[in-house]
Amino acid sequence: MTGRHSGLTLLLIAIVGFLTICPVIMLVFGSLSEGLTATGTFTLAKYIAAYTDPALLEVIWNTVIFVGGAASTATALALFLAYLNIRTDIPFKFIFGIISIIPMMIPHLLFSVSWVLLLNPSNGILNLILRQVFSLHHAPFNIYSLPGMVLVEGLLDLPIAYLIIAPAMASFDASLEESSRVCGASTGKTIFRITLPVLRPAILAAFILCIIRGLASFAVPSVIGMPGRIYVLATHLYQMVSTGFAADYGKAAALGMSVLLAAIILIYLYRYLTSASDRFVTIAGRGYKPTIIKLQRSRIPLFLILGFLSFILIILPVVVLFYTSLVPYSMVPSMRAFSMMGLKHWIEVLNDPISLLSLKNSLFLGVFGATIGIVLSIFVAYVIVKVRSRSAGVLESLSFLSFSFPGIVIGVGFMWFFVRTPLYATIWALLIGYIATYLPYGVRPLSSAFVQIHDHLEESSLVAGASYLTTLRRIVIPLLVPGIVSGWVLMATMFVRELSLSVVLSRPGTEVLAVQILRFSEDGLWGKLSALGIMMIGVSTLLVLLVNFIGRKFRPVDR
Amino acid sequence: MEIRIAGLRKHYASEGRIIKALDDVDLTIPSNQIFTLLGPSGCGKTTLLRSIVGLESPDAGEIRIGDEIVYSSARHISVPTEKRGLGMVFQTYAIWPHMNVYDNVAYPLQNRKVPKEEIRRRVAETLAFVQLEGFENRPATKLSGGQQQRVALARALVAQPRVILFDEPLSNLDAKLREETRKELKTFLYDLQITAVYVTHDRVEALALSDTIAVMRAGRIIEIGSPKKIYFDAESEFVADFIGRANLVKAVVREQLSGTTIVDSAIGRLACRKGNFSPDSHVTLCLRPEFISLTRGDHPGTNVVQGTIASMVFVGDAFEGEIRVGDQHLLARIEPETDLAVGDEVGFQVSPDHCLLVAG
Repeated sequence: MTGRHSGLTLLLIAIVGFLTICPVIMLVFGSLSEGLTATGTFTLAKYIAAYTDPALLEVIWNTVIFVGGAASTATALALFLAYLNIRTDIPFKFIFGIISIIPMMIPHLLFSVSWVLLLNPSNGILNLILRQVFSLHHAPFNIYSLPGMVLVEGLLDLPIAYLIIAPAMASFDASLEESSRVCGASTGKTIFRITLPVLRPAILAAFILCIIRGLASFAVPSVIGMPGRIYVLATHLYQMVSTGFAADYGKAAALGMSVLLAAIILIYLYRYLTSASDRFVTIAGRGYKPTIIKLQRSRIPLFLILGFLSFILIILPVVVLFYTSLVPYSMVPSMRAFSMMGLKHWIEVLNDPISLLSLKNSLFLGVFGATIGIVLSIFVAYVIVKVRSRSAGVLESLSFLSFSFPGIVIGVGFMWFFVRTPLYATIWALLIGYIATYLPYGVRPLSSAFVQIHDHLEESSLVAGASYLTTLRRIVIPLLVPGIVSGWVLMATMFVRELSLSVVLSRPGTEVLAVQILRFSEDGLWGKLSALGIMMIGVSTLLVLLVNFIGRKFRPVDR
Repeated sequence: MEIRIAGLRKHYASEGRIIKALDDVDLTIPSNQIFTLLGPSGCGKTTLLRSIVGLESPDAGEIRIGDEIVYSSARHISVPTEKRGLGMVFQTYAIWPHMNVYDNVAYPLQNRKVPKEEIRRRVAETLAFVQLEGFENRPATKLSGGQQQRVALARALVAQPRVILFDEPLSNLDAKLREETRKELKTFLYDLQITAVYVTHDRVEALALSDTIAVMRAGRIIEIGSPKKIYFDAESEFVADFIGRANLVKAVVREQLSGTTIVDSAIGRLACRKGNFSPDSHVTLCLRPEFISLTRGDHPGTNVVQGTIASMVFVGDAFEGEIRVGDQHLLARIEPETDLAVGDEVGFQVSPDHCLLVAG
C-alpha cells in the first residue's frame, strides 16, 4: 500500500513544506537583509538594532507578565471548571458545553473591545455606573493596564485549556483515588496527592498551549495594551512594520526570529507532553463513570461562581456590543439612553465602502479559503493516519509546525515572500497565509475522523472490485463528512475573524473585517465598531449553521 | 479455482529484529474445497491470506489463481486487489456504516458495471441465500453480530468470485452464536462448491469446517492434511499438541511389528500406531485425554496403564481428571456421572490406534 502513496506523500510534503517552511526561511533571509527592496546584501545591522533597542527590556518584562499571568489564570480556571463539571454534582452541566465552544462564537478582538467598552477609565459603562453610584471623582477601574490585559487574555484562553484538561479528567481512573481514600487520605488530600499529580501532563500541556496563544495574541495587546502604552512583543513588532514612514521589516524579522523560535520549542514540548500523557493517564475504555462528589452546602455558591463566569464570558460581550451599536455615544444605560437608540451606526457602516469591502473580502476568504484548506487537510490527514511511512511522519511534523506560528511574525515572513511575487497586496496573499497558518485546525478533526475508519472498510471495498478513487468517493469521503464539517467550520470561522496575520498582509483594497474593526477601535468609533462586529458574528454563525445543514444532507443513511 | 503459491516470502523489520511472516511458502490450494490455514497468532496465516487477495505485497515468490498469475516478483506482476475478482469476509466484517444492507451487498456488482435490474435480482437472490430477505433497507448499524456476518458473506458472494477468503470471521461472535454461525457457514459453503480459504487460530473451527487443513508456524507450512489426518496422525509434536489436548510422553522405540510399533515410555511399554522409526530412536508419544477411559482397580490384558487419580475438576460435560502414573501426570476425561474419586487406584486400556508417535 505504501508504494502506491509515495507520490502523493511527496507532493503533500512539497505543498505543506512550501506553506510552512517558506515564510520561516523568508523571515531568516529578511532579518539578514537591508530592506524589503534591497535584499541580498548581507547585514547584521537589523539584529543589532532590534536587540539593543532600550525599549526592548520593558517589552520583554511586559510580555512575561502578560503571557505567564494569562496562562496561569486560564489553566487554574479551567482546572476548577473541569473538576466541577466532571467530578461534582453541580447543577446545569450543559453550561460547560457552551463555555467550551464560545471561542467559535465570539472573536477575541470583539471580546477585548467589549471589555474596553465596560472598563475604560474615561467612559467605560461599568466605570460610569460605579462613579454615579458612589459619587467618585475617578474611574475605579482602568482596563488599559497589565492586570486588565491578563484578565481578558486569561478568559479568552480558558476554553482551550478546558478542552485539554476536561477529557483527561474524564478518563481518569477513579480507582486511583478510591485506593487513596482506602489508605486513609481525605478528599482534599487525595486531590493534591493523587488527582493533580496524575493529571500533571494535561495541566502542563494546557499551560504551555496558553503560553503559545498568549505569545501570538494580538487582539488584547492592541486593543487594551496600546492605548495604555503597554507594549508586548506582538505590539512592539506591529509598531515596527505599521508606522507608515519608517516601516522596518528587517528589524521586525530579526526580533520575530526569537519569538518564533520560542513558540516552536514550546509547541514541540506541548506535543511531547500530550503524547507522554497518553501513556501516563490510565484510561479505562469500559464506559465507567468516575465517582461523583456531593457538594452539599457549597453547591449553590459554586454554582453562582460558574454562573457569573459564563455571564461575563458569553452574555456580557454580546450585550455590550449590541447596546453600543444602538446608542449615539457611550452612556450609562438609562431611560434617556433607550429613548435615543437608533440604527445610525448600522446605516453608516452599511454606507461605508471600506467596511463593505472588508465584509465581502472576509466572506470570500472564509468560504473559499476554508474549502481549499479542508481539501488539503483531507489529503494530509489521510497520509498521516493511513499511510504511516517515514515520509508521512515528516508530513505530520510539517503540518503541525504552523500550530505554533504567531500571526504577526509569520506575516512578516510572508511579507518578504509576497513582495517579490505578483501576489503582493492581493487577496490571494491573505488566502495563502491563512491556509498556511491555520492548516492544523483542519488536519486535526480530519485525522481523528480517519482514525475511526477501520482499514478493513477500505480494503473490503478494494476486494469488492472498486478502484482506489471509487473507494475514496464512495466509502472514505461519506464517512468523513462529520470531520469535514467540523474542520471546515473551524477554519471558516478562524478566517472570517483573522486579525494578527491580516494586520501585516492587508493592504488598501484587501481590507478584512478584523482589520477594519481594529481601525475603528484605534479611532474610538465604538458605535460603528460594534455594528460591524455584530455583522462579523452574524457571518460566522451563518456559515456554521449552513455547513451543518449541508453536512446532514450528505449522510444517506441515518446513523 | 486452484490457487498455486510458490516461494512466497515476506519479511518485516520490527524493533531491530527480522520477522519472517512468510518464509518461502509453497502451497497448492485445491479447487472447490474449504481450505483452512491454522496456526497460533503471528504464524503468518493472515499475511498469506492478504497476499492472495493483494492487500499485502510479498517480497518474493509467485501466486497463481487458476491460470492467471496475480503476483510474481520475477516477472514484476502484481495485479491490484480490485482486479483480482475475489471475495473476502473480514474479521471486523467491514460493513460500511453509512450504507444500508442493499447498498453494501450491491457494491461489488456496481463496481463491475452490472445493469441495475440484474443487480437488484442478484442482491435479492444472495440475501435470500444467506437468509436475510427483507433486510434490504435496514441501516448497516442496526444489525446484530450474526446478521452483520451474513451481510459480509453475501457481499463476498454476490459477484460470484473465483475464490472466497475468510479472515477469522467468527472470532468477534460470542461462543453460542459462533457455533451456530459455524454450522450455517458450512452449509452455505457446501451448497456453493466454491474454493474457500479460511484463516483461523481456533482448532475446533478448523476441524469442523475444513476439507483440508494447513498448519502454519513461524512463516512456514508444517503440515497439510484432512482434519482426521491432522487430528489422529499428525507428523510433528507441535501439530499434535496444537490441534487438540494431548498428553505428551517421552518414549524410545523398541521394536517394529507388522501393524504396530512397540515403545518403552514413562508410563510403561505400549503398542502404538505404526510409525516409521528405527529401533532405539527417541520419540514422543501423544495420547489424547478423550481416549482414556478409566475404570477402578487392576486391568488385565495388554496396553494397560495403571495409576492414581490426583485431582478432578468438574467442567460441565465431564470431569477433567489428572492421573499420576509414576512420575508422569496424564490428563483424562472422566464421565460426569462417575463414582470415581480423588485417590482411587485406576487403570485404562488404550487401543494402539490412539497412541500416536511423533518425532522428537
